Amino acid sequence: MQPYRGGSGYVARSSSSGLYDVLELILDKGLVIDVFVRVSLIGIEILTVDARIVIASVDTYLRFAEAVNRLDLMSTETQGLPEMMEGITEGGASNKTKGVLQGAKEALFGEEDEDSGDGERQGERRRSSSSTTRRRRKSGSSGSSGGGSSGSRSRSSSKS
Amino acid sequence: MSESNGGGVRYVYGVVRARRSSRLKQTGINGEPLKVVADGGLGALTSTVPEGFLEAGRDELLTHSAVLERALKKGTVLPMQFGVVMPDEAAVRRDLLKAHHRELETQLEEMDGKVEVNVKGIYSEPRILREALEEDGELRALRESIRDKPQDATYFERIRIGELIAECLGRKRAEDERRIVDRLLPHAVAVEVGEPVHERMALNASFLVEQRRQRDFDRALDEIAEGQSGRIQFKYTGPLPPHSFVELAMEAA
Repeated sequence: MQPYRGGSGYVARSSSSGLYDVLELILDKGLVIDVFVRVSLIGIEILTVDARIVIASVDTYLRFAEAVNRLDLMSTETQGLPEMMEGITEGGASNKTKGVLQGAKEALFGEEDEDSGDGERQGERRRSSSSTTRRRRKSGSSGSSGGGSSGSRSRSSSKS
Repeated sequence: MSESNGGGVRYVYGVVRARRSSRLKQTGINGEPLKVVADGGLGALTSTVPEGFLEAGRDELLTHSAVLERALKKGTVLPMQFGVVMPDEAAVRRDLLKAHHRELETQLEEMDGKVEVNVKGIYSEPRILREALEEDGELRALRESIRDKPQDATYFERIRIGELIAECLGRKRAEDERRIVDRLLPHAVAVEVGEPVHERMALNASFLVEQRRQRDFDRALDEIAEGQSGRIQFKYTGPLPPHSFVELAMEAA
């Protein structure tokens, strides 16, 4: 079935043509088996970890302070997402959207594609601990919020 | 062309239904041809990779997802995490397809007709800072107090300001995340809420959606996005193979 192409234009849509869009899913999610050799992803691991750490750092605090200091309370309307929305074109891949996450992707990969040419490649990649903090909820148990079984990895084929 | 049965280290992309092993025209990582390695009605999508190491760069990651997306167009596919490599075809049959036969079959059934949709939301910075100032008296006072002072005299005040903003963002994130998920979940089968991967991320969630209900899901998201216009910008990725909703028991082999 053709996905619904929203007419409103409020949502930036893409298939997985952009790397950032699917990066965490590919790296953190999916089937893994007990007997396997995991390729080393040293470069990528470090970059994703960096991006997660930045959320609660002093640098972030100072940046927020700077931004709120500059904020002109008299100005009429907000201009959306200034630095994020500037179309940072992605080299190579045919990205159809100009999503707001381009900026975040840039944070992940630097300005250009990350080079895959060097670094050590031995050993297994450590699982990112962040994946354990994910929560899953299931639909079907009415709209009641809050009481959902969190952390459960169980599944059922609830066909509504 | 080398040994026809089992030669070479196999990179595994995902698991599909397959009656027999076959080579596909499509290529995978390093341009190697894809081969479906089949056993008992299940097929592993594989290609050969050099022994030792595998480059894990942009091309390899994109190829991994492209192979899976192509497979999704043809039918149900259970995606492997990036980087699963097995010694040879025999190992693929034995340690993946045979060892996990029931689980894989069950999950293929569960995933029939369903796709993953990833939804991210990013706050507008000026908008969210305004909200923070309106709601937090301490923040307003601090901002005023450092107004005309030199930067290096206000280091700790500025840290505190940033901290208050981060706390405020955290509260807003929790509330917005809950509200948005509550509105979308009725149109989905399940949701997996992820960590924010950006300091202004309001929501990072994957939904398992029945394809026949995807339009309803998309419309619901459009409505939310319209209501949040100028405050939260949404990014929608999908349909994707159900990365966030598959899992194998990791019992010791």
